[in-house]
Amino acid sequence: MFSKYPRKKIVLYSLIILFFIMMETPMIMLGNKVEPFVFGLPFLLFWVLLWWFICTALFLIGYLTNWGSKSTDTESK
Amino acid sequence: MTVGVLIIAAFMIIPLAVGLLAATKSTNTSEDFFIQGRGMGAIAVFFTVAATWWSSFAFLGSNATFYTDGPVYLTALAWNLLFGLMYYLVGKRVWYLGKRFNYVTPSDLLGDFYNNEKLRVLVAGILLVFTIPYLQIQLTGGAYLIEVASGGVIPFWLAALIFYFIIVVYVWVGGIRAVAWTDIIYGALLFFGMLFAGIYVSQNLGGPTGLFKNLLETSPEHLTLPGPQGAMGFPAWFSLCVVTAIGAFMGPQLWLRMYAVKSGKLFNLMPFLLGFAAIAYMGSLLTGFSGVLLEPGVENPDQILPIMLMKYAPFALASLILAAGAAAAMSTANSQIHAVSTIVTLDIYKRYGNPKASQESIIKVGRWSLVIFSLIAYVMALVVPGVLVTIGIAALAGTAQLIVPTIGAITWRRAHPTAALWGLIAGITTVLLITFVPAFSQPFGFHAGVWGLLVNAILFVTISLSLKRTDHKVVKRFDDARYEYNKEYHPELIDELKKKEEKTV
Repeated sequence: MFSKYPRKKIVLYSLIILFFIMMETPMIMLGNKVEPFVFGLPFLLFWVLLWWFICTALFLIGYLTNWGSKSTDTESK
Repeated sequence: MTVGVLIIAAFMIIPLAVGLLAATKSTNTSEDFFIQGRGMGAIAVFFTVAATWWSSFAFLGSNATFYTDGPVYLTALAWNLLFGLMYYLVGKRVWYLGKRFNYVTPSDLLGDFYNNEKLRVLVAGILLVFTIPYLQIQLTGGAYLIEVASGGVIPFWLAALIFYFIIVVYVWVGGIRAVAWTDIIYGALLFFGMLFAGIYVSQNLGGPTGLFKNLLETSPEHLTLPGPQGAMGFPAWFSLCVVTAIGAFMGPQLWLRMYAVKSGKLFNLMPFLLGFAAIAYMGSLLTGFSGVLLEPGVENPDQILPIMLMKYAPFALASLILAAGAAAAMSTANSQIHAVSTIVTLDIYKRYGNPKASQESIIKVGRWSLVIFSLIAYVMALVVPGVLVTIGIAALAGTAQLIVPTIGAITWRRAHPTAALWGLIAGITTVLLITFVPAFSQPFGFHAGVWGLLVNAILFVTISLSLKRTDHKVVKRFDDARYEYNKEYHPELIDELKKKEEKTV
């Protein structure tokens, strides 16, 4: 079904979907605790920041790899 | 006190000067006034989108929410990323269609694709009605900050009046270009102001780590969902994220910022930039949590940031940061006033009042509607009290409904005008019922906006599937546009289509 998409596009979008599942479904409750403190941060805060960092990094990778598409986009920035 | 007034004066004069400078670049066409002739560059786009999207809701409301309800506002990190992703996935397609078919307003796109006059009017109506309360909270927040930053020398009514006057002057002369240029200053002030305030204030408790340790002892329920009141659990977490990101994204001020962009490449970078900027909310978290320990029992939580700064930072620094907060409000308000006047001018005046209007008279109507809408918002700011986050979310829940027909228009050839119309009507009705009729209050804890979107989407898909479009020309025109879009940006999809065609032949 997904054969038409390049592999890197599938991986990228799957990881982004994973982020939203971890953050915005009841899965967020997995991180909903105070202890243990990590780097001086309460666990929930650390947990949310960790996922935020992963997803922001994915968006940077998205930009650098043209979001997984072969592009004929020749216009300059 | 004089220092505060000086800072406020500088804060007023600098944007005014930048706005006037931007005006010298204007060409006297309506496209330039409304969407900068589709030629806005990367830096201006990023700052104007970020500063427009971060409002006094973000600057004051975030601190207030951390203060009263604990960590639920952390969902902001996800909604910033969602907003950024939509800017790429939806915004780039909206931009492309705008360029191809020469759209300036949201109604242009939806009215054209669905080929339906009623829908065009409904979309303009929804945007006007739901943008005004959101505009009003910007003025309320901004004026309040100016009042506090000046040490009370400038009273609220005067602060709001100055605030409104400055916006009108530079938008009047410079259109969207002046808005975008001033937003570069506002955006930078806002980002550093939020972060710095939090870091500075938390020093009173031994920095962030000391703060969290203290909080663990005195009020641990501030560190987990559902927060100290027990009301902000997962449903609130989810609702805030969805309604804020989608509602703001569908606001007319953001929509114009999709059309105005010069190069499609910029859309690829925006998710990262907008997502990264969300780190500034850590400042709000520190300020709000410090408030819990140092200033418990503040009556109006929207005032927690000004109170903390005035008590725990030197006056000059406090004034500067509060001016940054006023900047947050102003950078949203200027864009909203500009966007609302664009809708009135193009969707109402030009389309139904005077279709043959000259460029000059279009710009003139645009400018006068600026003044009128600012005046309405000013009066509302003086007479309507309210908590920023609550009013903000209610207004966003309304504009959010437009996402359903928009996604339909850019991706689905079967999307039907009747479906879009009834989906929107049902979605808005659901939002209003749940917001204003106590008997329906927030089923299962999810916000009215979420239920509105659900009803809207179900109706939209069901009706579209059961009806067939007869206006083949329009459908074909958009099919071609989608094909061209994919050919340019997602060639792999086209290769696949070709392979399939070869096989069937």
